[in-house]
Amino acid sequence: MGKWVSKRGGMRARIRGGLLGFIGVAYLVSIPWYREPGATVPLLWGLPSWVTVAIGCYVVVAVANCLAWLLTEIDDAPRDEDRDDVS
Amino acid sequence: MSFGELGTAALFVYMLALVGIAEIARRARRDRSASDHFLAGRELSTFVLLLTLYATAYSGNSLLGYPGEAYRRGFSWIMATGFMMSIIVAFHALVPKLRPVAVARGFVTPGDWIRFRFGEGGEGRALRVVIATLMALALSNFLFAQLKALGEMAEQVTGGIVSYEVGVILLATMVLFYETLGGMRAVAWTDAAQGLLMMVGLMALGGWLLMGAGGFAELTRGVAQARPDAVLVPPVREQLNWASTILLMGLASVLYPQAIQRIFAAKDGRTLRRTFAWMTFMPLTTTLVVTLIGLAAIPRFAGLADVEADRVMPLLLGEWSAVGGWAMAVSVAVFLGALAAIMSTADSVLLSLGSLVAQDLLGHSEGDARTTAIGKRVGVIAMAGMAMLALWAREVTLWGVIELKMELLIQCVPAFLLALHWKGQSARATIWGAVLGTAIAVLGLFFGVKRFGGIHVGVIGLALNLAVVWIGSRNRFRAG
Repeated sequence: MGKWVSKRGGMRARIRGGLLGFIGVAYLVSIPWYREPGATVPLLWGLPSWVTVAIGCYVVVAVANCLAWLLTEIDDAPRDEDRDDVS
Repeated sequence: MSFGELGTAALFVYMLALVGIAEIARRARRDRSASDHFLAGRELSTFVLLLTLYATAYSGNSLLGYPGEAYRRGFSWIMATGFMMSIIVAFHALVPKLRPVAVARGFVTPGDWIRFRFGEGGEGRALRVVIATLMALALSNFLFAQLKALGEMAEQVTGGIVSYEVGVILLATMVLFYETLGGMRAVAWTDAAQGLLMMVGLMALGGWLLMGAGGFAELTRGVAQARPDAVLVPPVREQLNWASTILLMGLASVLYPQAIQRIFAAKDGRTLRRTFAWMTFMPLTTTLVVTLIGLAAIPRFAGLADVEADRVMPLLLGEWSAVGGWAMAVSVAVFLGALAAIMSTADSVLLSLGSLVAQDLLGHSEGDARTTAIGKRVGVIAMAGMAMLALWAREVTLWGVIELKMELLIQCVPAFLLALHWKGQSARATIWGAVLGTAIAVLGLFFGVKRFGGIHVGVIGLALNLAVVWIGSRNRFRAG
């Protein structure tokens, strides 16, 4: 049982890590470094396309971050590996 | 009834409600300890914690400063939505490690972590003073920004019946009153009401502006006609500034002492997890909306100067209220919501400043009954000082004030975000790193250099700060 819980905890931590990495990528894409500075761009959903892409990235970040928080373990007592710090 | 009369009446009703909440919070207190006064007995639920964090994070800066900055910079200010969200991302590095230790050790202030991690005396004590000084300076700066915004809002909501100067003094006194009387409970409960008012009000204003502009496409065309540069792909320098601001705001904002204290004040870990999961969507309902509000102001008010741009939100609300009827009533509600948001940030800042100075700088212990009294006295002095400054320095842009605060606060990153994850970090190296990083940020301010190639001097200071901490701590290990 303990091993199963530990495996499940490990999987949660890996998914959480993956989501945080994905958030980093979304932040990189949100900045329009891939466009020519000073260029006029077409509208996408009524906004300059680089603005729509940035907003889309931030929506993705919000969803991924929400999931990452739901997978985060926040204990109210120190874990074993940190316990020696709280002696 | 005119807009000003309606606003003045609403303002006084709102202030009476605050007095009532403060009295209920005073009666709800369990004892006179510092943890009961400063952390509401560590029993904040998800709903109250979410709204108090929201109302604290979205302040006068967000409601006046961000629309002003969107007006000045154009569409590239969409970065604000990203950097406000980066704060909730950066909390991943702080909360899961700090919360368990904070509960086990009964932390009240950020300095309690420094004491625990780096020791009570010697270099640990010196580091605590350095960090507490940086945080106290950042909080004082923050308080100044809130008082300035309060004066502006009071003048607008009452149509000039209450002047900027009277507004600053009156509302500063009100914040001081309910914070002193009810502590964190009064602050959190009023924040919850204020947060709801602000969220609903902003959505209503954003909706009215978009409908008035004829949708996003018309809004963009209007901005492009008034200021063609505002819709173009930003230059490389602005893009670097975008990345730098995400780093600056994300890393520095998690170290707001009032945010750290709310981590300590949460009822349990599950409450914190749910709160942050919800909190991550708030920039989409608030920062994005205020950015669009600032952009909608570009075609409406041409040629506002630097400081004047911070007044676009009140100007838009004034225009909306002129429609009359329900629009006037809702615009008064939005004004009050904005005022409430500013007050809620000011009260949290004041509460944190009092505990920080009493415990971390003056060295009073959490169990000491005098700590609460000293914290309250510090609050009175800080409020009086910053109110005088707000009366004297009205012509300062809010975004300028925010950047300065963040560049100081970000120098505390190694003492928290790194020290939580690296057991080999030494106090001495952390002190020298913080001193070097702060010196760079202050020199930049002194010589009027805020950025190098778009990157904030505070971020450059942090890079050198981290290098010093890393090299200094590794050498100590080798020497040991």
